[in-house]
Amino acid sequence: MTGARLLRGAVGAAGFFVVGELVIRYGISDDMDFPPPSTILLETGRLLADPDFLAGVGATLANWALGLLIAICVAVPLGVLLGSLPPVERAIRPILEFLRPIPSVAIIPLAILLIPVDEMMKVSVIVYASLWPILINTLYGMHDVDPVAKESLRSFGFGPLAVLARVSVPSAAPFMATGVRIAAGIALVLAVSAELVAGGVAGIGVYVIQAGSGNRMDLMMAATVWAGLFGVAANLVLMAGERRLFHWHRMRTGAQS
Amino acid sequence: MTRKLRCYAVALGVTVALTLAGCGGSDDGGTTSANSKGLEKTTIKIGALPIPDPVSLYIAQAKGFFKEEGLTVEPTPITGGAVAVPMIESGQLDISQTNYVSTFAAVAGGKKIKLVADMYQAGANCFVIMVPSNSPIKTVADLKGKTIFVNNLNNIATLAVETQLKVAGLSKDDVKFAEKPFPEMGNAIKAGQADAGWITEPFITANQSANGFRKLADTMTGQTEDLPIAGWMATEEWVQKYPKTLAAFQRAIAKAQQLASSDRKEIEAMLPKYTKIDAKTASVITLGTYPSELNTNRLQKVADLMLEYGYLKSPIDVKSVIAAPASSG
Repeated sequence: MTGARLLRGAVGAAGFFVVGELVIRYGISDDMDFPPPSTILLETGRLLADPDFLAGVGATLANWALGLLIAICVAVPLGVLLGSLPPVERAIRPILEFLRPIPSVAIIPLAILLIPVDEMMKVSVIVYASLWPILINTLYGMHDVDPVAKESLRSFGFGPLAVLARVSVPSAAPFMATGVRIAAGIALVLAVSAELVAGGVAGIGVYVIQAGSGNRMDLMMAATVWAGLFGVAANLVLMAGERRLFHWHRMRTGAQS
Repeated sequence: MTRKLRCYAVALGVTVALTLAGCGGSDDGGTTSANSKGLEKTTIKIGALPIPDPVSLYIAQAKGFFKEEGLTVEPTPITGGAVAVPMIESGQLDISQTNYVSTFAAVAGGKKIKLVADMYQAGANCFVIMVPSNSPIKTVADLKGKTIFVNNLNNIATLAVETQLKVAGLSKDDVKFAEKPFPEMGNAIKAGQADAGWITEPFITANQSANGFRKLADTMTGQTEDLPIAGWMATEEWVQKYPKTLAAFQRAIAKAQQLASSDRKEIEAMLPKYTKIDAKTASVITLGTYPSELNTNRLQKVADLMLEYGYLKSPIDVKSVIAAPASSG
């Protein structure tokens, strides 16, 4: 089953590659100075030997990881707190609903103006953007806790904190994990976007700017391919983690992979 | 989950502690070495675009001119003039590249900015209007009613084009300006999004060889001949707070500018190191000149031109915008 799926995936990717190559080499190439996929792939491989690019990857991923970590540390406790205190949640909800839909990329210019340290500015926008999916998912998770389980524990004489730790949080955990996975993708987008807008000493986005200024479309695309691969890798790792940790949840909800 | 949270919390605490320790450490290093030269600040972050204009920053870095002055410089690629002003205002950067038209416009808008060193001056064929080889546009006068790409609206780009339109008997109302980043101009013009583009290096060379574009006009002639293009800026507050650091920076940059203006090979060797311009392109692109001192008369020409073409509502005395180098060398 997985073998067949892999094969089909590979055929799809190869077909896309070949069509792209042909179109760019023989089709619309007269009107566009765009490197064919084979050139981009070659440069994508070569970037692994480019110390500038590797330093950039290090910087981007460090900001990404730190931002995501802080977002988790803030959003999960906050979500649990709000989720267990419905009156407070109702009071805060309008602010959340107002802030959440603001496109995070739009706050980058504001952050540049307000935050004096470049890395801090970038981490801040990453935290801001990745906060929402984790917080909202945690809230949904807290709402979804089985009331019967909570009541049973309470009737056995457990205090509210014990109920929280033994029933509510574990039961909401799969939602939190999904929130983190969604946030990881958004955080990567913001990590690179902040670099594209503000520059910086090093980063994948900084590398793309430099490549663009030097008229190296192939390098721009190659760096972009890597950014995409990091996103895919992060998603795969987190998804595998979710599947392992919360197998029971998947069984209960009957969700398909 | 709670245990995991605790792990996260510990990890975060350690990260924050390390970060703070790191910051503290570098500050300490700064003050101790500052004592030897008397500089108020020894580590400075400098914003520069990855283009040929700020080459002397990298020359000064590579040749150790900053080190001789007791300065540790962190060159930081920036994306454009638009973010440079907020970045020096917030303190993310100490000094940044700027173009004079943007600076004077910002000063007229009430920004407290000082020019601290000169960087780049236009030469012949540095900034040209280009069209596809088969374009019916043969002269600047043919641009009437056409769309022209510039990298920024209401900037040096549109000003330079306007001076050429004037020579041809046109004004900015006779054409349409549209904004497009340099790397995308060639493809966009080929695709018919505009009829012409205001283009600089390395894109002049690239569009000539890859796209077969031809030069319609050199925009740095007549009123704009030898026009000062770009310089280094800092906030007024920064200039007042760090006079010795500024003087050290100015001496190192002036030295590198002299080297750049006297030997093109120095520039060609440096370009592939901080831009993605390859060595072959670096050896053929057209470059401007690299003046060693901020000349009030030359810069006043830019401000006056801006006033003439309506980029400034009232005249600016350029002298008040310049933070002159300290006389002691």
